[in-house]
Amino acid sequence: MHRICRVAAFAAIFLLAGGFGFVPAHAQEPVTIGLVVPLSPPGDPTAGQLIRRGAELALDYYNGKGGVLGGRKLQLSVQDSQGRPEGGVAAYRRVVGEDKAVAVTGFFHSSVNIAANEVAKSMGVPTIGTQTSAADITAKHYEVAFRTHLIDPLRVAAWLEFMQKKGFKRVSMVAETSDYGVGLITETDRQIKEKKLPIELQTLTFDRTSTDLTPQLLQVKAFKPDLLVNVGVGAPMDLMIEQAATLAITPAVPMLVSYDAPIRPQFWQLHPNTGDKLYFIAYYSPKQTLSEIGTWFTKAYEEKYKESPVYSSLNGFGDVAIVAQAVEQAKSTDPKAIIQSLENGKFAFWSSGDVTFPNADGVFWHNFSPPVLILQFQRPGQDWKEAEVAYESGK
Amino acid sequence: MWSLELFTQALIAGVVIGVIYALMALGITFIYSIVKMINWSMGEFYMLGSYAQYLIVAYWLGPDLWYVAAILSAATVFFVGWLIEPILIKPMFTGGIERRDDYATVVTIALLLLLRNLATAISGPYQRTPGSNLPGVMLGPLPESGARFAAFLAALAAIALFTFLLKRTWLGLALRATSQSRVGAQTAGVDVLSLDKIAFGIGVGLAGLAGALLAPVFMVYPTDGVVTTTKGFEIIVIGGLGSVPGALIAGVALGVAESLGATFIASAYQNAYGFVLLLLVLALRPSGLFGERLRQA
Repeated sequence: MHRICRVAAFAAIFLLAGGFGFVPAHAQEPVTIGLVVPLSPPGDPTAGQLIRRGAELALDYYNGKGGVLGGRKLQLSVQDSQGRPEGGVAAYRRVVGEDKAVAVTGFFHSSVNIAANEVAKSMGVPTIGTQTSAADITAKHYEVAFRTHLIDPLRVAAWLEFMQKKGFKRVSMVAETSDYGVGLITETDRQIKEKKLPIELQTLTFDRTSTDLTPQLLQVKAFKPDLLVNVGVGAPMDLMIEQAATLAITPAVPMLVSYDAPIRPQFWQLHPNTGDKLYFIAYYSPKQTLSEIGTWFTKAYEEKYKESPVYSSLNGFGDVAIVAQAVEQAKSTDPKAIIQSLENGKFAFWSSGDVTFPNADGVFWHNFSPPVLILQFQRPGQDWKEAEVAYESGK
Repeated sequence: MWSLELFTQALIAGVVIGVIYALMALGITFIYSIVKMINWSMGEFYMLGSYAQYLIVAYWLGPDLWYVAAILSAATVFFVGWLIEPILIKPMFTGGIERRDDYATVVTIALLLLLRNLATAISGPYQRTPGSNLPGVMLGPLPESGARFAAFLAALAAIALFTFLLKRTWLGLALRATSQSRVGAQTAGVDVLSLDKIAFGIGVGLAGLAGALLAPVFMVYPTDGVVTTTKGFEIIVIGGLGSVPGALIAGVALGVAESLGATFIASAYQNAYGFVLLLLVLALRPSGLFGERLRQA
């Protein structure tokens, strides 16, 4: 009887311990990372797909090395935000509530990131903004909010310096009525006044669902600016390029696109005659030095997609890599431990040098900003990698 | 920033876009007047037309034959509607369904979701354009793209042709009879169920034509019909449900209100000016500018 009891006790302990390896049963469960990206309009679906490509390759990288926490594989829970705040909130709730994501990243539209952060504050699972730039994302100093993208004040400082260098005195900004668009208008106006710059600024806004921007552009034409800043995202950005050319505003008045959409493969298919001489913000140049994992990623991306990676994919990869490292450093999938790890740790990213998220002042809280470049196409159909560097921050 | 030149430019731009909006509204109002249902998936038929135009121009005919492509695109969408009607819409009249309005709403919203998701799955969410080789034109002081001006002229031609079909042909007579009284038309020997199929096809074909004409102007993507459909519904309420001249006049009024409002009041509320106009019309004429008041026993 005693022997039977001993065998039963041993069997129970064996089963509880998870077999000979004494590995807990949950040890083989995958670790889920939430990816909330725009995969359909009115969001920018191209950006969403590019970020997703990067995130998926980060999984290949870490799972190829055996996963995290001694053998647990990483998996993604991907949700479409449609670029709408309410879509982002629903997506965040789903990946955290149903799929038990340990962190959520991929955010592209600022308004989506801001809305999701409000829910994250109560649900406690950290967010990392992949390509969201509005100040409020980190300026609210939420414990859960992190970001690896260029923030509005730095973007605005960069283009104001660029305008000064080029001697642009009259500038029109046409922006969508989102946190991103309105935030950039407000910040540009604030910095012009604060720095007492000799720039006369005309600001116009439009609803993101608008397809006809003629009324706004007619006012731009009447203003006779030296530069037109295009603060549309996705289809409105493309429509503004075309409609400004129709109204004969461009190319006489140069246009600056507020983000790096012109580096995308389909840009010249959409704008074969109107994209020439366009200025655009970029955050990555193929000439810059990459980290070890960044080099691995570039090679893997080129092999898989037969084209060079762009910033959205690089940052999608980098953010998932940061979450994987934070889980390893925390030795836990508990979101609180991951937040502590993100605040105190150093992380390899696609660019050279470590990423940290210091508890810094103002908008720099939990924030890592890449350098900012302004590139300009020199001829129709030009590969963005050969575009002229018209401005580089810090130089 | 008032100036006569800016006012004229905004006015002309409003008229051009308004006529194009009207083409979309015409399909909605026509289907309503015959089949007595609101087709919530009109935007998706617009989208089908835009994709058809893109495929035909980009892979077959080239941008110089855009007008042939537009006719083929509209015909394709007509055919799709003609095929769908007996499966989804006809049971409204033959299946013993009591709450026809509810049935039509559920079925067409389901169709909307199906078509939109199919487009995303097949073509991806990316924007595309068939391109255009048409040179720009000057409409008074307003520079206009050749593609948009061509869409404007083609929309006017399509509306004229549609009016001719309704007023001067036997088919039009039968359609008008059915729109006045389905039972009366049946009594006179009209095959109303066959006519429903044709009417649904023509209605969605008009939306497909709008999509094809606007493909090089507003680009092609899975939800490209959403805005135009919203405008279409605004127009039929302003112009009066079932009225062809109402659709044209309300379309122009909407386009002008949006253009002038966005230029001289505040550009951020461009989409709101149409709703202000709509509320004004509803307050003064609840049945719309050209709508007929229905008597209820």
